[in-house]
Amino acid sequence: MIRRFDRAKHHRSSLWALVTLAAMPPALLALCGPAFAHASERGHVLLLPTQYYVLGGALAVAASFLVLIFLPPQALARLGTRRMRIAVLPFDGRATVSFFSFLIFAALIYAGVSGSRDPLANPLPLTVWTLLWVGLTLMQGLFGNLWAWLNPWYGPWRFFVRLGGPEKGWFRLPKALGYRPAVLLLFCFAWFELIYIAPDDPQHLAAAALAYWLFTFAGMCMFGHPSWASRMEFLSVCVGMISRLSVLEARCTERGFSLSTCLPGGKLTDTRPLPLSGVAFLLLALASVSFDGFMRTFFWLGAIGINPLEFPGRSSVVTENTMGLAGTFLVLGAAFTLATWAGDRLAGGQNWNRAAGLLVWSIVPIALAYHFSHYLTALLVDGQYALAAASDPFFRGWNLFGTAMAHVQAGIVLGAHSAWVIWNAQAAAIIGGHVLAVVIAHTIAYRLYGSGRRAALSQLPMAVLMIGYTVFGLWLLSTPTAG
Amino acid sequence: MNYKAKHQIKPDGGITRRTALKGLSTAAGLMAAPGFVRYAQAQSSEPIRIGFQCHRTGIGAAYGRWYERVTSAAVKRINDQGGVNGRPLEIVIEDDGTDAARGSEVVAKFANQHKVDLVYGTLFSHVVVAAAPMAGELKIPYYVVSEGYHVASGKMNRYCVQPGITDVKAQVRSVAPWIAQNLGKRVTLVYPDYAFGHDHRDFFEPAITAQGGEVIAKVPIPPTETSFTRYFPQIPRDTDVIYHVMVGPAVLTFVKELGEFFGTGGPQLFGFIDSLEAVDINSPGLEFLDGSHFWEGMPRYAQPDIPRYAASYRETVGIDENGASVNDPNDVSTAGHMFGCWETLYVIKAAMEASGYRGPEDRASLIEATEAMTEFPAGNEHPQGAKIFNGQIHQVFAEQCISQVNGGRLDVVHRTSIEDGMYEPEADYTTMSF
Repeated sequence: MIRRFDRAKHHRSSLWALVTLAAMPPALLALCGPAFAHASERGHVLLLPTQYYVLGGALAVAASFLVLIFLPPQALARLGTRRMRIAVLPFDGRATVSFFSFLIFAALIYAGVSGSRDPLANPLPLTVWTLLWVGLTLMQGLFGNLWAWLNPWYGPWRFFVRLGGPEKGWFRLPKALGYRPAVLLLFCFAWFELIYIAPDDPQHLAAAALAYWLFTFAGMCMFGHPSWASRMEFLSVCVGMISRLSVLEARCTERGFSLSTCLPGGKLTDTRPLPLSGVAFLLLALASVSFDGFMRTFFWLGAIGINPLEFPGRSSVVTENTMGLAGTFLVLGAAFTLATWAGDRLAGGQNWNRAAGLLVWSIVPIALAYHFSHYLTALLVDGQYALAAASDPFFRGWNLFGTAMAHVQAGIVLGAHSAWVIWNAQAAAIIGGHVLAVVIAHTIAYRLYGSGRRAALSQLPMAVLMIGYTVFGLWLLSTPTAG
Repeated sequence: MNYKAKHQIKPDGGITRRTALKGLSTAAGLMAAPGFVRYAQAQSSEPIRIGFQCHRTGIGAAYGRWYERVTSAAVKRINDQGGVNGRPLEIVIEDDGTDAARGSEVVAKFANQHKVDLVYGTLFSHVVVAAAPMAGELKIPYYVVSEGYHVASGKMNRYCVQPGITDVKAQVRSVAPWIAQNLGKRVTLVYPDYAFGHDHRDFFEPAITAQGGEVIAKVPIPPTETSFTRYFPQIPRDTDVIYHVMVGPAVLTFVKELGEFFGTGGPQLFGFIDSLEAVDINSPGLEFLDGSHFWEGMPRYAQPDIPRYAASYRETVGIDENGASVNDPNDVSTAGHMFGCWETLYVIKAAMEASGYRGPEDRASLIEATEAMTEFPAGNEHPQGAKIFNGQIHQVFAEQCISQVNGGRLDVVHRTSIEDGMYEPEADYTTMSF
């Protein structure tokens, strides 16, 4: 009863907060006085000759397209399919690892509810936003589908099957749904991360993560793990697609998992076409990380009438940023559609759906490059907080791994020298990601259209899009931002 | 983990992140011990819970990091010396995301869910302005460390107090006499064209006029501007001093372009460290600042004549000679402002002791005890310097530092008197009911 009373009081208080805010006379808000807009590390980047990087990046992507015209496409296609076997894993430890992961997840939820209220001391937000969303996604891009082992559902689901649950579930997911539910869930996730006013709040995050785990587990039991994980569970879908960029490939054989190495992106050149909902999914993944950078720029804040030097906080821009996120997705979708449609016409193709479904795989390295560039500083600093929190997850003064007392070295991303190093790493990733995307797109186009000439023709509009997105990516990282 | 281990002090003297926050207090330490029965021995050993409204995320995060470190250091010191009325302090952090609406919700959460004794530590003005009505509604003391004039203006409420840091109006008035006497009387203001810049413009002009000076030009810069050279021709040739208060990521560009415009000559420069708080003064682009002057709330660089208590404060907080973290020379502190956290906590301590504070039922007495305070002598509790507190407007007044950039460091060349910054109160909170 006491709890309920408190909650009701809290809700009244929240209502009061909104009422007082809305009723606050402009004159009082004008009393804001010092706003402490921090000079921030972007200030150092503004002094770097970033315009040359932008020009150089655009030229590098254009040059790589031109070089590809003169390279024999068959050789590229062969390189993409080349594999070198390195090992065979004679066992399938997915259920065990996943069950262990589930136990950690449960502990994290408990920490979110009962641990520190500080998002930089509570392991839940640090794990979800830093280790999982940033760190794991990057690892997927480099080393393959680790999430297939680490996800917190597969182990419990196997347990459910062992208890007598049907392996394929009781129901079938309609094929016509495609990736539509995953697109919707990814949008919700991106909205929660970028626009919701308190995604770092441990209790809010615990509630959201627990609700999603239960929803997903129920779905996996009812529809079977394979179909739910491959089309509904947005995280599995997203990082699964990202993992196709990696240099490792694991194939399930009779003797176990056969591990091979391949060239980065090699697995993207011989994959199956995605349906249009899958195309939308990949484009939304790129759009969300792009908007994450864009929504902080002076340009965007000025456009929505916000003074970037006294940014009032997320609660003031919920509607604008929701529209912005959706708008970025639509604009990117339109640009991609236009580029692939025009390319298909130029090459004399007959099946735009198939062309778009294959060429969208070339977005993966760009998405990963954006991910790396935008979250690099967060990974470097919040990763340290995560290490500290891991040693004392429930805020009881423990020091499990000897890292609880560590002083977080925020200076690793501070100052002119760090700004120079980080900018160069970011620029290299953005440019490298786009060059790789051009190569992959060209190889896919050869597979689509059957001749080097038609492939090159089809890639003219895509090359323009890639150059534009390179320029946009570098601009995002070098233009003034709030905070 | 026992209490002793949790209060571990690193060999280099810097305290750790977790040493004071969360249950670093004695009672919380005991709570972690096996078999401990919560507050079994006596009601009086129950911790005093302070809700720390921290800018952990959002645009205030750089300040929040240092506000948290200073708070940790001060709480640890207070607890090591016996706490408050024999009770340890316990800090409960809530992140407000540097967001106005969230700030208000956090205050409500502190009062209704965490049941803290008071709320403390808010920095960004828009959060204070939004959250103070909630503190008033819930009748919970709200000790802010914000520097804004909003508290002294009388527009907040009886529960909102700023006893640890001076407001911008006092700061601006303090520096005007020295500027007129030492840099020149013909001043051009260059400021961002919004509330922050307008405050400086509106407070400085009468202050310099009173010193026989004159503002001969005002150059407002649009907040989204990132290139400034085209504004510089608006600076009259006979300007003695450029008073600049630019903030945001383009500050370095502003200084660089100012240097390119004026070359080796040009008027004197006077700025506020707010522009470059937490930024290394030796950063590329800032070379033109050499020889120029800044207001500082407290010196970033250790001065040759540093008082023992100020040195002790720096050591306890963990900043080196250059005002950066002792563990991380790249992590430059927000030294000009963060002392306000330390001093506010000591004011809270003194007010609780003076009022015999026992629990939330004594919140009104706590505010009255704070209002009754008049002077804070310089010392370990007030390392920034002596202060005068005006209970009517809930605002403290202090000496200010004027520092010169010399060879890549800031040297204090003048300390203003407290009286330099004082002004006629425009409100009286003590007449408001609780």
